[in-house]
Amino acid sequence: MGYLDMLHEANVFLKKQIKTVPDVAVILGTGLGSLSDYIENKTVIKYTDIPHFPKSTVPGHAGEFIIGNIYNKNIIAMNGRFHYYEGYSMEQVTFPVRVIKSLGVQKIIVTNASGGMNPDFKAGDLMFITDHINMMGDNPLIGKNYEEFGPRFPDMSNAYDKQFLNIGLNTAKELSIPVQKGVYVALTGPMYETPAELKMLRLIGADAVGMSTVPEVIVANHANMKVLGISCITDMAIPDNLKPLDHERVIATAEKAKNNFVSLVKGIIKNM
Amino acid sequence: MDEMAMVKESCDYLKGCIDYIPDVAVILGSGLGSLSEEVTNKNIIKYENIPHFPKSTVVGHAGQFACGDLCGKKVIMMQGRFHYYEGYDMKRVTFPVRVLKYLGVNTIIVTNAAGGVNTNFKPGDLMIIEDHINLSGNNPLIGENIDEMGPRFPDMSCAYNKELIKIAKGVAKEEKINVVSGVYCMMSGPTYETPAEVKMVRTLGGDAVGMSTVPEVIVANHQGMKVLGISCITNMASGILDQPLNHEEVIETSNKVKDKFIRLVKGIIKQM
Repeated sequence: MGYLDMLHEANVFLKKQIKTVPDVAVILGTGLGSLSDYIENKTVIKYTDIPHFPKSTVPGHAGEFIIGNIYNKNIIAMNGRFHYYEGYSMEQVTFPVRVIKSLGVQKIIVTNASGGMNPDFKAGDLMFITDHINMMGDNPLIGKNYEEFGPRFPDMSNAYDKQFLNIGLNTAKELSIPVQKGVYVALTGPMYETPAELKMLRLIGADAVGMSTVPEVIVANHANMKVLGISCITDMAIPDNLKPLDHERVIATAEKAKNNFVSLVKGIIKNM
Repeated sequence: MDEMAMVKESCDYLKGCIDYIPDVAVILGSGLGSLSEEVTNKNIIKYENIPHFPKSTVVGHAGQFACGDLCGKKVIMMQGRFHYYEGYDMKRVTFPVRVLKYLGVNTIIVTNAAGGVNTNFKPGDLMIIEDHINLSGNNPLIGENIDEMGPRFPDMSCAYNKELIKIAKGVAKEEKINVVSGVYCMMSGPTYETPAEVKMVRTLGGDAVGMSTVPEVIVANHQGMKVLGISCITNMASGILDQPLNHEEVIETSNKVKDKFIRLVKGIIKQM
Protein backbone atom coordinates (compact mmCIF):
# COMPACT_ATOMS: atom_id res chain seq x y z
CA MET A 1 0.00 0.00 0.00
CA GLY A 2 1.27 3.50 -0.86
CA TYR A 3 2.18 6.12 1.72
CA LEU A 4 -0.75 8.39 0.84
CA ASP A 5 -3.24 5.53 1.21
CA MET A 6 -1.79 4.56 4.58
CA LEU A 7 -2.02 8.14 5.72
CA HIS A 8 -5.58 8.36 4.49
CA GLU A 9 -6.66 5.25 6.39
CA ALA A 10 -5.07 6.47 9.63
CA ASN A 11 -6.74 9.84 9.11
CA VAL A 12 -10.19 8.32 8.52
CA PHE A 13 -9.85 6.18 11.65
CA LEU A 14 -8.91 9.15 13.86
CA LYS A 15 -11.48 11.53 12.40
CA LYS A 16 -14.23 9.19 13.50
CA GLN A 17 -13.15 9.75 17.12
CA ILE A 18 -12.06 13.38 17.03
CA LYS A 19 -14.96 15.79 16.74
CA THR A 20 -13.04 19.10 16.71
CA VAL A 21 -9.78 19.99 15.00
CA PRO A 22 -7.17 20.25 17.79
CA ASP A 23 -5.63 23.71 18.27
CA VAL A 24 -2.26 22.20 19.03
CA ALA A 25 -0.43 18.87 19.10
CA VAL A 26 2.11 17.99 21.81
CA ILE A 27 4.69 15.22 21.42
CA LEU A 28 5.62 14.10 24.91
CA GLY A 29 9.24 13.09 25.38
CA THR A 30 10.77 10.45 27.65
CA GLY A 31 9.42 10.81 31.18
CA LEU A 32 7.22 13.79 30.28
CA GLY A 33 4.03 11.83 29.71
CA SER A 34 2.46 13.13 32.91
CA LEU A 35 1.12 16.18 31.08
CA SER A 36 -1.58 13.84 29.89
CA ASP A 37 -2.91 13.62 33.49
CA TYR A 38 -4.04 17.23 33.13
CA ILE A 39 -6.05 16.71 29.97
CA GLU A 40 -9.79 16.90 30.53
CA ASN A 41 -12.64 15.26 28.61
CA LYS A 42 -10.12 12.68 27.54
CA THR A 43 -10.29 10.30 24.63
CA VAL A 44 -7.43 7.82 24.51
CA ILE A 45 -6.55 6.15 21.22
CA LYS A 46 -3.96 3.39 21.33
CA TYR A 47 -1.43 3.45 18.49
CA THR A 48 -1.96 -0.28 18.12
CA ASP A 49 -5.56 0.41 17.05
CA ILE A 50 -4.64 2.98 14.39
CA PRO A 51 -4.12 1.56 10.90
CA HIS A 52 -0.44 1.60 9.80
CA PHE A 53 0.92 2.99 13.06
CA PRO A 54 4.23 1.50 14.20
CA LYS A 55 4.49 0.22 17.79
CA SER A 56 6.45 1.98 20.54
CA THR A 57 9.09 -0.24 22.16
CA VAL A 58 10.79 1.98 24.78
CA PRO A 59 10.11 1.67 28.52
CA GLY A 60 8.62 4.98 29.75
CA HIS A 61 6.76 5.52 26.50
CA ALA A 62 3.10 4.62 26.43
CA GLY A 63 2.00 4.57 22.80
CA GLU A 64 -1.26 6.43 22.63
CA PHE A 65 -2.89 9.63 21.50
CA ILE A 66 -4.72 11.54 24.22
CA ILE A 67 -7.27 13.97 22.90
CA GLY A 68 -9.09 16.47 25.09
CA ASN A 69 -8.90 19.91 26.66
CA ILE A 70 -6.34 21.92 28.55
CA TYR A 71 -7.94 25.20 29.62
CA ASN A 72 -10.13 26.17 26.68
CA LYS A 73 -7.95 24.59 23.99
CA ASN A 74 -8.42 21.34 22.15
CA ILE A 75 -5.24 19.35 22.20
CA ILE A 76 -3.91 16.11 20.85
CA ALA A 77 -0.99 14.69 22.82
CA MET A 78 1.31 11.93 21.64
CA ASN A 79 2.25 9.85 24.64
CA GLY A 80 5.10 7.81 23.16
CA ARG A 81 6.91 8.43 19.90
CA PHE A 82 8.83 6.37 17.37
CA HIS A 83 12.60 6.65 17.42
CA TYR A 84 15.00 6.10 14.57
CA TYR A 85 17.22 4.00 16.86
CA GLU A 86 14.39 1.52 17.33
CA GLY A 87 14.89 0.60 13.69
CA TYR A 88 11.95 2.47 12.19
CA SER A 89 12.54 4.21 8.90
CA MET A 90 12.45 8.01 8.93
CA GLU A 91 9.12 7.78 7.13
CA GLN A 92 7.68 5.72 10.01
CA VAL A 93 9.23 7.96 12.66
CA THR A 94 7.46 10.97 11.18
CA PHE A 95 4.23 9.24 10.15
CA PRO A 96 2.33 10.51 13.24
CA VAL A 97 3.22 14.13 12.35
CA ARG A 98 1.78 13.60 8.87
CA VAL A 99 -1.34 12.12 10.44
CA ILE A 100 -1.66 15.02 12.90
CA LYS A 101 -1.30 17.56 10.10
CA SER A 102 -3.92 15.68 8.06
CA LEU A 103 -6.39 16.32 10.90
CA GLY A 104 -5.96 20.04 10.30
CA VAL A 105 -3.56 20.74 13.20
CA GLN A 106 -1.30 23.72 12.42
CA LYS A 107 0.80 23.98 15.58
CA ILE A 108 2.96 21.44 17.34
CA ILE A 109 4.96 21.43 20.57
CA VAL A 110 7.76 18.87 20.39
CA THR A 111 9.41 17.86 23.66
CA ASN A 112 12.27 15.55 24.57
CA ALA A 113 14.74 14.51 27.23
CA SER A 114 18.26 15.51 26.31
CA GLY A 115 21.80 15.85 27.56
CA GLY A 116 22.95 19.35 28.45
CA MET A 117 26.14 20.47 26.72
CA ASN A 118 26.16 24.14 27.55
CA PRO A 119 28.16 24.54 30.79
CA ASP A 120 25.63 27.12 32.00
CA PHE A 121 22.93 24.45 32.10
CA LYS A 122 22.21 21.98 34.88
CA ALA A 123 20.25 18.74 35.08
CA GLY A 124 16.57 19.49 35.46
CA ASP A 125 16.65 22.67 33.33
CA LEU A 126 14.08 23.21 30.61
CA MET A 127 15.50 24.50 27.33
CA PHE A 128 13.57 26.14 24.52
CA ILE A 129 15.02 24.89 21.24
CA THR A 130 16.02 27.85 19.04
CA ASP A 131 17.46 25.74 16.22
CA HIS A 132 18.75 22.26 15.49
CA ILE A 133 21.59 20.39 13.82
CA ASN A 134 20.74 17.12 12.11
CA MET A 135 23.62 14.70 12.69
CA MET A 136 21.50 11.59 12.19
CA GLY A 137 22.92 10.87 8.75
CA ASP A 138 19.41 10.62 7.32
CA ASN A 139 16.48 12.89 6.48
CA PRO A 140 12.77 12.00 6.45
CA LEU A 141 12.26 13.87 3.18
CA ILE A 142 14.74 11.84 1.13
CA GLY A 143 12.79 10.20 -1.65
CA LYS A 144 9.85 11.25 -3.77
CA ASN A 145 8.40 14.61 -2.75
CA TYR A 146 4.65 14.81 -2.23
CA GLU A 147 3.81 18.29 -3.49
CA GLU A 148 0.51 18.17 -1.62
CA PHE A 149 2.51 18.02 1.64
CA GLY A 150 5.09 20.69 0.92
CA PRO A 151 7.94 21.89 -1.31
CA ARG A 152 10.84 19.76 -2.61
CA PHE A 153 13.37 21.98 -0.82
CA PRO A 154 11.84 23.26 2.42
CA ASP A 155 13.31 26.35 4.01
CA MET A 156 14.53 25.70 7.57
CA SER A 157 15.56 29.23 8.54
CA ASN A 158 12.65 29.54 11.00
CA ALA A 159 12.25 25.86 11.88
CA TYR A 160 11.37 26.79 15.47
CA ASP A 161 8.83 29.54 15.01
CA LYS A 162 10.03 32.81 16.55
CA GLN A 163 6.54 33.96 17.53
CA PHE A 164 5.73 30.63 19.15
CA LEU A 165 9.07 30.81 20.98
CA ASN A 166 8.19 34.27 22.29
CA ILE A 167 4.92 32.95 23.68
CA GLY A 168 6.97 30.25 25.41
CA LEU A 169 9.48 32.71 26.84
CA ASN A 170 6.77 35.09 28.06
CA THR A 171 4.87 32.24 29.69
CA ALA A 172 8.01 31.08 31.51
CA LYS A 173 8.53 34.63 32.79
CA GLU A 174 4.91 34.96 33.88
CA LEU A 175 5.13 31.68 35.81
CA SER A 176 8.65 32.40 37.14
CA ILE A 177 9.96 29.15 35.64
CA PRO A 178 13.66 29.46 34.81
CA VAL A 179 14.37 28.37 31.22
CA GLN A 180 17.36 28.12 28.92
CA LYS A 181 17.56 28.58 25.15
CA GLY A 182 19.78 26.70 22.76
CA VAL A 183 20.60 24.50 19.80
CA TYR A 184 19.53 20.83 19.89
CA VAL A 185 21.67 18.31 18.05
CA ALA A 186 20.16 14.96 17.08
CA LEU A 187 22.30 11.83 16.74
CA THR A 188 20.91 8.41 15.95
CA GLY A 189 21.82 6.77 19.25
CA PRO A 190 21.00 4.38 20.80
CA MET A 191 24.33 4.52 22.61
CA TYR A 192 25.03 7.69 24.55
CA GLU A 193 27.80 9.89 23.17
CA THR A 194 31.49 9.33 23.84
CA PRO A 195 33.46 12.18 25.44
CA ALA A 196 35.20 12.76 22.08
CA GLU A 197 31.83 12.99 20.35
CA LEU A 198 30.59 15.43 22.97
CA LYS A 199 33.64 17.65 22.43
CA MET A 200 32.96 17.62 18.71
CA LEU A 201 29.29 18.46 19.25
CA ARG A 202 30.14 21.37 21.51
CA LEU A 203 32.58 22.60 18.86
CA ILE A 204 29.89 22.61 16.18
CA GLY A 205 27.46 24.56 18.35
CA ALA A 206 25.42 22.10 20.41
CA ASP A 207 23.72 23.19 23.63
CA ALA A 208 21.82 19.94 24.08
CA VAL A 209 22.07 16.51 22.49
CA GLY A 210 19.44 13.84 21.97
CA MET A 211 18.05 11.12 19.71
CA SER A 212 14.71 12.44 18.55
CA THR A 213 12.78 15.58 17.59
CA VAL A 214 14.71 16.61 14.46
CA PRO A 215 12.91 14.24 12.04
CA GLU A 216 9.51 15.34 13.38
CA VAL A 217 10.46 19.01 13.18
CA ILE A 218 11.68 18.62 9.59
CA VAL A 219 8.38 17.05 8.56
CA ALA A 220 6.35 19.62 10.52
CA ASN A 221 8.21 22.39 8.68
CA HIS A 222 7.71 20.64 5.35
CA ALA A 223 3.99 20.58 6.20
CA ASN A 224 4.14 24.31 7.08
CA MET A 225 3.28 23.75 10.77
CA LYS A 226 4.43 26.15 13.48
CA VAL A 227 6.84 24.39 15.83
CA LEU A 228 7.84 24.98 19.42
CA GLY A 229 10.57 22.73 20.85
CA ILE A 230 11.27 22.12 24.55
CA SER A 231 14.11 19.96 25.86
CA CYS A 232 14.19 18.71 29.42
CA ILE A 233 17.88 18.55 30.34
CA THR A 234 17.92 15.27 32.23
CA ASP A 235 21.69 14.96 32.61
CA MET A 236 24.77 16.99 31.89
CA ALA A 237 26.92 15.80 29.00
CA ILE A 238 30.12 17.75 29.69
CA PRO A 239 33.00 15.76 28.20
CA ASP A 240 35.54 16.34 31.00
CA ASN A 241 33.09 15.60 33.79
CA LEU A 242 31.10 12.57 32.65
CA LYS A 243 29.36 10.18 34.98
CA PRO A 244 28.22 6.85 33.62
CA LEU A 245 24.71 7.26 32.26
CA ASP A 246 21.75 5.11 32.76
CA HIS A 247 18.21 5.32 31.52
CA GLU A 248 16.79 5.12 35.08
CA ARG A 249 18.62 8.32 36.08
CA VAL A 250 17.33 10.09 32.97
CA ILE A 251 13.78 9.19 33.95
CA ALA A 252 14.37 10.16 37.60
CA THR A 253 15.54 13.67 36.63
CA ALA A 254 12.70 14.09 34.19
CA GLU A 255 10.41 13.15 37.07
CA LYS A 256 11.79 16.05 39.13
CA ALA A 257 11.56 18.53 36.26
CA LYS A 258 8.09 17.45 35.31
CA ASN A 259 6.24 19.86 37.59
CA ASN A 260 7.90 22.81 35.88
CA PHE A 261 7.41 21.18 32.52
CA VAL A 262 3.71 20.57 33.05
CA SER A 263 3.10 24.13 34.34
CA LEU A 264 5.06 25.61 31.45
CA VAL A 265 3.32 23.66 28.69
CA LYS A 266 -0.11 24.25 30.23
CA GLY A 267 0.68 27.96 30.43
CA ILE A 268 1.84 28.07 26.83
CA ILE A 269 -1.33 26.33 25.65
CA LYS A 270 -3.41 28.84 27.62
CA ASN A 271 -1.50 31.81 26.13
CA MET A 272 -1.49 30.55 22.55
CA MET B 1 22.79 -8.14 -12.54
CA ASP B 2 26.03 -6.88 -10.97
CA GLU B 3 27.15 -3.29 -11.21
CA MET B 4 29.98 -3.92 -13.66
CA ALA B 5 27.68 -5.73 -16.09
CA MET B 6 25.19 -2.86 -15.94
CA VAL B 7 27.96 -0.31 -16.54
CA LYS B 8 29.09 -2.30 -19.58
CA GLU B 9 25.60 -2.46 -21.06
CA SER B 10 25.01 1.27 -20.57
CA CYS B 11 28.38 1.99 -22.08
CA ASP B 12 27.69 -0.23 -25.09
CA TYR B 13 24.53 1.77 -25.73
CA LEU B 14 26.46 5.07 -25.62
CA LYS B 15 29.11 3.66 -27.95
CA GLY B 16 26.35 2.95 -30.42
CA CYS B 17 25.36 6.63 -30.34
CA ILE B 18 28.78 8.32 -30.63
CA ASP B 19 31.86 7.16 -32.54
CA TYR B 20 34.49 8.97 -30.46
CA ILE B 21 35.82 8.99 -26.93
CA PRO B 22 34.99 12.35 -25.33
CA ASP B 23 37.97 14.32 -24.02
CA VAL B 24 36.00 15.65 -21.11
CA ALA B 25 32.69 15.12 -19.33
CA VAL B 26 30.74 17.96 -17.72
CA ILE B 27 28.00 17.44 -15.13
CA LEU B 28 25.72 20.47 -15.32
CA GLY B 29 24.20 21.62 -12.02
CA SER B 30 20.77 23.16 -11.32
CA GLY B 31 20.07 25.98 -13.75
CA LEU B 32 23.43 25.57 -15.54
CA GLY B 33 22.16 23.34 -18.35
CA SER B 34 22.40 26.08 -20.96
CA LEU B 35 26.09 25.36 -21.52
CA SER B 36 24.94 22.42 -23.62
CA GLU B 37 23.47 24.88 -26.16
CA GLU B 38 27.05 25.81 -27.10
CA VAL B 39 27.86 22.27 -28.20
CA THR B 40 28.00 21.74 -31.99
CA ASN B 41 27.52 18.54 -34.00
CA LYS B 42 25.32 17.62 -31.13
CA ASN B 43 24.03 14.19 -30.27
CA ILE B 44 21.35 14.02 -27.59
CA ILE B 45 21.06 10.76 -25.67
CA LYS B 46 18.09 10.56 -23.32
CA TYR B 47 18.76 8.84 -20.01
CA GLU B 48 15.47 7.01 -20.35
CA ASN B 49 16.80 5.21 -23.42
CA ILE B 50 20.02 4.07 -21.74
CA PRO B 51 19.86 0.63 -20.14
CA HIS B 52 19.99 0.77 -16.30
CA PHE B 53 19.87 4.57 -16.05
CA PRO B 54 17.65 6.05 -13.33
CA LYS B 55 15.32 8.96 -14.19
CA SER B 56 15.78 12.56 -13.03
CA THR B 57 12.85 13.94 -11.02
CA VAL B 58 13.85 17.55 -10.24
CA VAL B 59 12.38 20.61 -11.93
CA GLY B 60 15.15 22.39 -13.88
CA HIS B 61 16.99 19.17 -14.68
CA ALA B 62 16.59 17.72 -18.14
CA GLY B 63 17.82 14.12 -18.05
CA GLN B 64 20.03 13.62 -21.06
CA PHE B 65 23.59 13.50 -22.35
CA ALA B 66 24.56 16.16 -24.89
CA CYS B 67 27.63 15.04 -26.84
CA GLY B 68 29.56 16.89 -29.52
CA ASP B 69 32.22 19.55 -30.11
CA LEU B 70 33.11 22.48 -27.90
CA CYS B 71 36.22 24.65 -28.24
CA GLY B 72 38.07 22.04 -30.27
CA LYS B 73 37.35 19.20 -27.84
CA LYS B 74 34.94 16.30 -27.84
CA VAL B 75 32.64 16.73 -24.87
CA ILE B 76 29.88 14.77 -23.18
CA MET B 77 27.59 16.77 -20.93
CA MET B 78 25.16 15.49 -18.35
CA GLN B 79 22.07 17.65 -18.37
CA GLY B 80 20.41 16.49 -15.19
CA ARG B 81 21.93 14.34 -12.49
CA PHE B 82 20.65 11.94 -9.86
CA HIS B 83 20.48 13.26 -6.32
CA TYR B 84 20.69 11.30 -3.11
CA TYR B 85 17.74 13.28 -1.72
CA GLU B 86 15.57 11.96 -4.54
CA GLY B 87 15.81 8.58 -2.89
CA TYR B 88 18.41 6.97 -5.17
CA ASP B 89 21.05 4.99 -3.37
CA MET B 90 24.61 6.20 -3.73
CA LYS B 91 25.39 3.55 -6.35
CA ARG B 92 22.59 4.89 -8.58
CA VAL B 93 23.64 8.51 -7.97
CA THR B 94 27.14 7.74 -9.21
CA PHE B 95 26.27 5.22 -11.90
CA PRO B 96 26.70 7.74 -14.76
CA VAL B 97 30.24 8.52 -13.61
CA ARG B 98 31.06 4.80 -13.76
CA VAL B 99 29.69 4.67 -17.30
CA LEU B 100 31.63 7.76 -18.39
CA LYS B 101 34.88 6.28 -17.17
CA TYR B 102 34.17 2.98 -18.87
CA LEU B 103 33.53 4.92 -22.06
CA GLY B 104 37.12 6.14 -21.77
CA VAL B 105 36.58 9.61 -20.32
CA ASN B 106 39.41 10.58 -17.97
CA THR B 107 38.57 14.17 -17.09
CA ILE B 108 35.35 15.44 -15.54
CA ILE B 109 34.08 18.90 -14.67
CA VAL B 110 31.44 18.71 -11.95
CA THR B 111 29.26 21.76 -11.41
CA ASN B 112 26.50 22.62 -8.97
CA ALA B 113 24.39 25.33 -7.39
CA ALA B 114 25.40 25.89 -3.78
CA GLY B 115 24.65 28.10 -0.82
CA GLY B 116 27.40 30.49 0.25
CA VAL B 117 28.65 29.81 3.77
CA ASN B 118 31.75 32.01 3.59
CA THR B 119 30.45 35.50 4.40
CA ASN B 120 32.88 37.04 1.90
CA PHE B 121 30.93 35.37 -0.90
CA LYS B 122 27.90 36.85 -2.58
CA PRO B 123 25.12 35.33 -4.69
CA GLY B 124 26.27 35.02 -8.28
CA ASP B 125 29.87 34.19 -7.39
CA LEU B 126 31.53 31.22 -9.06
CA MET B 127 33.61 29.10 -6.70
CA ILE B 128 36.39 26.77 -7.81
CA ILE B 129 36.13 23.78 -5.46
CA GLU B 130 39.49 23.07 -3.81
CA ASP B 131 38.30 20.29 -1.53
CA HIS B 132 35.14 18.84 -0.05
CA ILE B 133 33.64 17.60 3.22
CA ASN B 134 31.24 14.68 3.02
CA LEU B 135 28.43 15.24 5.54
CA SER B 136 25.88 13.28 3.53
CA GLY B 137 26.02 10.43 6.03
CA ASN B 138 26.82 7.94 3.30
CA ASN B 139 29.51 6.99 0.77
CA PRO B 140 29.08 5.52 -2.71
CA LEU B 141 31.97 3.09 -2.18
CA ILE B 142 30.40 1.32 0.80
CA GLY B 143 29.99 -2.30 -0.17
CA GLU B 144 32.07 -4.77 -2.09
CA ASN B 145 34.95 -3.12 -3.92
CA ILE B 146 35.17 -3.84 -7.62
CA ASP B 147 38.94 -3.92 -8.07
CA GLU B 148 38.83 -3.32 -11.80
CA MET B 149 37.16 0.04 -11.08
CA GLY B 150 39.59 1.21 -8.40
CA PRO B 151 41.24 0.52 -5.04
CA ARG B 152 39.46 -0.49 -1.81
CA PHE B 153 40.79 2.62 -0.04
CA PRO B 154 41.06 5.46 -2.52
CA ASP B 155 43.30 8.41 -1.71
CA MET B 156 41.39 11.70 -1.52
CA SER B 157 44.30 14.04 -0.88
CA CYS B 158 44.00 15.62 -4.33
CA ALA B 159 40.33 14.93 -5.06
CA TYR B 160 40.16 18.14 -7.07
CA ASN B 161 43.04 18.14 -9.55
CA LYS B 162 45.54 20.93 -8.86
CA GLU B 163 46.51 21.28 -12.52
CA LEU B 164 42.87 21.80 -13.52
CA ILE B 165 42.36 24.31 -10.69
CA LYS B 166 45.34 26.25 -11.99
CA ILE B 167 43.94 26.24 -15.53
CA ALA B 168 40.54 27.38 -14.23
CA LYS B 169 42.01 30.25 -12.25
CA GLY B 170 44.15 31.25 -15.25
CA VAL B 171 41.11 31.33 -17.53
CA ALA B 172 39.16 33.36 -14.98
CA LYS B 173 41.97 35.92 -14.91
CA GLU B 174 42.25 36.11 -18.71
CA GLU B 175 38.50 36.41 -19.14
CA LYS B 176 38.25 38.88 -16.24
CA ILE B 177 35.73 36.67 -14.46
CA ASN B 178 35.76 37.05 -10.70
CA VAL B 179 36.06 33.66 -9.07
CA VAL B 180 36.43 32.60 -5.47
CA SER B 181 37.71 29.27 -4.26
CA GLY B 182 36.88 27.10 -1.31
CA VAL B 183 35.63 23.93 0.32
CA TYR B 184 32.29 22.42 -0.72
CA CYS B 185 30.33 20.67 2.00
CA MET B 186 27.63 18.19 1.08
CA MET B 187 24.57 17.56 3.23
CA SER B 188 21.88 15.16 2.11
CA GLY B 189 19.01 17.64 1.92
CA PRO B 190 16.33 17.98 0.65
CA THR B 191 15.69 20.43 3.48
CA TYR B 192 17.78 23.54 3.20
CA GLU B 193 20.17 23.79 6.13
CA THR B 194 19.15 25.40 9.41
CA PRO B 195 21.16 28.46 10.52
CA ALA B 196 22.78 26.27 13.21
CA GLU B 197 23.86 23.75 10.56
CA VAL B 198 25.35 26.52 8.44
CA LYS B 199 27.37 27.74 11.43
CA MET B 200 28.56 24.17 11.96
CA VAL B 201 29.65 23.91 8.32
CA ARG B 202 31.60 27.16 8.69
CA THR B 203 33.26 25.91 11.89
CA LEU B 204 34.26 22.72 10.11
CA GLY B 205 35.85 24.65 7.25
CA GLY B 206 33.12 24.69 4.61
CA ASP B 207 32.78 27.69 2.28
CA ALA B 208 29.74 26.48 0.38
CA VAL B 209 27.03 23.92 1.09
CA GLY B 210 24.97 21.83 -1.31
CA MET B 211 23.26 18.50 -1.93
CA SER B 212 25.29 16.93 -4.75
CA THR B 213 28.77 16.57 -6.29
CA VAL B 214 30.57 14.75 -3.47
CA PRO B 215 29.35 11.22 -4.40
CA GLU B 216 30.29 11.76 -8.05
CA VAL B 217 33.70 13.15 -7.12
CA ILE B 218 34.37 10.22 -4.80
CA VAL B 219 33.60 7.75 -7.57
CA ALA B 220 35.56 9.73 -10.15
CA ASN B 221 38.58 9.63 -7.82
CA HIS B 222 38.06 5.93 -7.17
CA GLN B 223 38.44 5.44 -10.90
CA GLY B 224 41.47 7.70 -11.23
CA MET B 225 39.67 10.45 -13.16
CA LYS B 226 40.85 14.05 -13.02
CA VAL B 227 38.19 16.26 -11.44
CA LEU B 228 37.47 19.96 -11.61
CA GLY B 229 34.60 21.29 -9.47
CA ILE B 230 32.76 24.58 -9.91
CA SER B 231 29.99 25.83 -7.63
CA CYS B 232 27.65 28.61 -8.58
CA ILE B 233 26.82 30.43 -5.34
CA THR B 234 23.13 30.98 -5.96
CA ASN B 235 22.16 32.23 -2.52
CA MET B 236 23.65 32.86 0.88
CA ALA B 237 23.05 29.86 3.12
CA SER B 238 20.43 29.95 5.86
CA GLY B 239 20.83 32.44 8.69
CA ILE B 240 23.29 34.76 6.93
CA LEU B 241 20.60 37.00 5.48
CA ASP B 242 17.29 37.37 7.29
CA GLN B 243 15.17 35.72 4.61
CA PRO B 244 13.80 32.28 3.79
CA LEU B 245 15.33 30.20 0.99
CA ASN B 246 13.55 28.85 -2.05
CA HIS B 247 14.42 26.87 -5.15
CA GLU B 248 13.18 29.61 -7.51
CA GLU B 249 15.86 31.94 -6.16
CA VAL B 250 18.47 29.29 -6.90
CA ILE B 251 17.33 28.94 -10.51
CA GLU B 252 17.03 32.72 -10.93
CA THR B 253 20.59 33.40 -9.78
CA SER B 254 22.07 30.63 -11.87
CA ASN B 255 20.27 32.14 -14.88
CA LYS B 256 21.92 35.49 -14.15
CA VAL B 257 25.42 34.06 -13.96
CA LYS B 258 25.13 31.62 -16.82
CA ASP B 259 27.01 33.86 -19.28
CA LYS B 260 30.15 34.05 -17.16
CA PHE B 261 29.78 30.37 -16.19
CA ILE B 262 29.68 29.43 -19.89
CA ARG B 263 32.69 31.63 -20.71
CA LEU B 264 34.66 30.12 -17.83
CA VAL B 265 33.94 26.50 -18.66
CA LYS B 266 34.51 27.03 -22.39
CA GLY B 267 37.84 28.70 -21.66
CA ILE B 268 38.86 25.83 -19.42
CA ILE B 269 37.92 23.17 -21.97
CA LYS B 270 39.88 25.04 -24.64
CA GLN B 271 43.03 25.10 -22.53
CA MET B 272 42.81 21.59 -21.16
